[in-house]
Amino acid sequence: MEYILKNGIVYDPANEINGEKMDVMFKDGLIVDNVSADAEVLDVTDKIVMPAGVDPHAHVAGPKLVVGRLYRPEDSRRGVTQKTKVLRSESGFSIPSCPATGYRYSRLGYGTVVEAAMPPLEAKHTHEEIATIPQLDIPAMPLFGNNWFVMEYAKDNNIEDIAAFVAAWLKISKGYGIKIVNPCGSEAWGWGMNVHGVNDKAPYFDVTSKEVIVALAKANEMLNLPHSIHIHPNDLGHPGNVPTTIETMDAVKGIKKGKGAAEVRDQVMHLTHLQFHSYLGNSWKDVTSGAEEVAKHFNKADNLTCDIGQVTFDETTTMTADAPMEYDLFKLSGLKWTNKDIECETAAGIIPCIYSKRSPVSTLQWAIGLELFLLIEDPWRVCLTTDHPNAGPFTRYPRIISWLMSNEKRQDMCDNEVHKWVHKRTLLPTLEREYDFYDIATITRAAPAKIYGFTDRGALTPGYRADIAVYDINPNDIDPSKQADEIEKGFNVADYTIKDGQILVKDKEIVKVKESQNIWVNVKGWEQNEQKVIDNIMPFFTQYYSVKWENYPVHDHYVSNPIRVDVDGK
Amino acid sequence: MKTITFDQIKTSSIALEFDELIPDEIYSWTEADFAKYQVPIGNSRFPITDFFDITVEGEANGPEEVEMILNGDLNRVKYIGCKMSAGNIVCNSSVDLHVGAEMSGGSILVKGNAAAHAGREMSGGYLEIEGNTKEFTGASYIGEWRGMTGGQIVVGGNAGKQCGECLTGGRIHVKGNCDILAGIHMTKGLIEIDGDVNRWPGGQMKNGNIVIHGFLGRLLEGFVLNGIVVDPEVEGTTFKGKYIHYTGDIGLNGKGNLYLGAEANKEKLAEYGELDDEYTSIREYRNL
Repeated sequence: MEYILKNGIVYDPANEINGEKMDVMFKDGLIVDNVSADAEVLDVTDKIVMPAGVDPHAHVAGPKLVVGRLYRPEDSRRGVTQKTKVLRSESGFSIPSCPATGYRYSRLGYGTVVEAAMPPLEAKHTHEEIATIPQLDIPAMPLFGNNWFVMEYAKDNNIEDIAAFVAAWLKISKGYGIKIVNPCGSEAWGWGMNVHGVNDKAPYFDVTSKEVIVALAKANEMLNLPHSIHIHPNDLGHPGNVPTTIETMDAVKGIKKGKGAAEVRDQVMHLTHLQFHSYLGNSWKDVTSGAEEVAKHFNKADNLTCDIGQVTFDETTTMTADAPMEYDLFKLSGLKWTNKDIECETAAGIIPCIYSKRSPVSTLQWAIGLELFLLIEDPWRVCLTTDHPNAGPFTRYPRIISWLMSNEKRQDMCDNEVHKWVHKRTLLPTLEREYDFYDIATITRAAPAKIYGFTDRGALTPGYRADIAVYDINPNDIDPSKQADEIEKGFNVADYTIKDGQILVKDKEIVKVKESQNIWVNVKGWEQNEQKVIDNIMPFFTQYYSVKWENYPVHDHYVSNPIRVDVDGK
Repeated sequence: MKTITFDQIKTSSIALEFDELIPDEIYSWTEADFAKYQVPIGNSRFPITDFFDITVEGEANGPEEVEMILNGDLNRVKYIGCKMSAGNIVCNSSVDLHVGAEMSGGSILVKGNAAAHAGREMSGGYLEIEGNTKEFTGASYIGEWRGMTGGQIVVGGNAGKQCGECLTGGRIHVKGNCDILAGIHMTKGLIEIDGDVNRWPGGQMKNGNIVIHGFLGRLLEGFVLNGIVVDPEVEGTTFKGKYIHYTGDIGLNGKGNLYLGAEANKEKLAEYGELDDEYTSIREYRNL
């Protein structure tokens, strides 16, 4: 089928199209230059047309989601809808059911969402869950930062074997790239401890967090992976964590970017949910924003990108492979807590969390997120996330967009809605910058696509997948700085969401349900090294894992209809 | 004032769900509207008129001017008055699960027993059950840590397990006995029990008040004795007589108050040693 989206106002930063009134055409699932006279015309006159959204960091599938849903049935009671002829029923607010996750992203105009933490041991389950989420392409990031084999190799600075291990494990887990969470800290949690700072050692491994980060970054570039290392640094959420964050940034200084697939991106490290890593002070009593210091350092470096993890003032669920941090949070909130250990690989903690405007700490976190958005100069290096569901559900993206586009709205909140700490301990009330639609398209589409090295999405380039979103907002007829509520409303539900050329949302209603696809990276050229590493670790694996090797990998039938990205690793 | 009378003509083995039939929703309905309405039963809906003859008398400008009278066997009718904010409901029978759940105003009178989750998470209004209630009266729902936050529940008979679980406000008055773990996890509010409690009231409570006039079987070890108090005033109500006052649950640094009727718990007092005839001396207990 051929289609023309007629007379839309297009924002496509990858092609430097900034609010031009033009037609967008697509045929057989791809963007094209022209179509025949038989093409179906979709009138989108004076509506915003953008590439479909790309969420670079969310937790949507995997074991901790299931644990979270089981232990927070009260969350599942929120957002309940009945099934329709097209849709299955929905449930959940911060941890939506799998169908609800797909539907809600689709309504927002998103087409690709990265599952940010997949324990390789639970990869099968993660892929089963991905298969149950409709409408999206979902790459998943296997966790390597506390993996016993990685830590052993990192201790010996054996980069080549780490690279072979990563190449093998991406195949085994059908993963997309290297995710590092609180390196060495989650392993320490197995002993009831944590690491603080990049120079602390994992107990019994004699390796520091910094050594693990550097080793994995070098391996990443050695393999020419399309995405850089994707790191959740140490000391998340702890007052005074700014030095750790800056040391983590500095750890990859001088590491050269890979070739081939790696050349699409600019960075060698992606820092995730930077908001949680930008706290000054010594305790919650004297904590202040460290956003200015972090942003200043970040702006100077040219090899880093980040996403924010913006707090949205909701009752949500925090879940992360940073298990010791979750326990610390539980001790603060006193609500309820659960933990999930993944043998030899990682651990996770889960708690409910209420971000309240009346709370000084929540206000500080909210302000720090916005400060970072406004202080980081290049929108191509920052992405919009809430670290769903940790700082808030992804369904709040339109609200965050409205905050970014309206200084007036932010000032009003600072003066009338949130805790007074916003004036005493942050710079937010003094920041007047406002994003425009082009910037919004950058941080929600173009930048995350580039950061992940995607060459088939995130832009309206002919030959790319026809992943398109249309919003019922006329940029010529709205003043975002004064009409924040209208901006939020306009981005809340797309007029059209088109995925691979299929119209999934039309007139703000989901009209079609599409099977999801997993995107994974297949590194070529390392097969012999991979086998050698697997042979070497097999005695250890047999001794310490409770599963047999034959049952460990994700077999093909777990990943139906995948998008395999072949990468020349040599 | 509008009176809507439901006279049962048929029962169902699967429970009818009445959460859409609350004064807030039906204050303007006529008999013709009811004739068109289909009530949820399991995963299907059936005409309400298959199960009830419905008579509407008078007019109402809002839910507060509505009285619903439910006659017949309501043992398989659940969610009666669920989420209502105004109006009155009278049930002339025992009722199924979730009566008055999440109600924020108005009143419900049940002239019989209520199944589990009566008054679950209610935030206002008045719920009276003349008979017994089963588990989780005025409690939170599964997983939730905020139970009843306001309003009042009166149980004429006995209450089942975990009455007032996670109580976050409001008052529960049980005129009969109460099963185990009354007020577990409570943080605020008042539970008054006229009868006996077999075991463990107030487990992991952080704050709030429990007053037990009758005999308590077993007390959790997280409660420390404060002494005897006479005519204690708790949340604006003065309870006449002597009470043993405990604080807990210290396992969670809890500051909850548990008052035990001294007369009914003489044996418990004896655990602390010899008492004077009036057993009013706090000092003596502390010296023990």
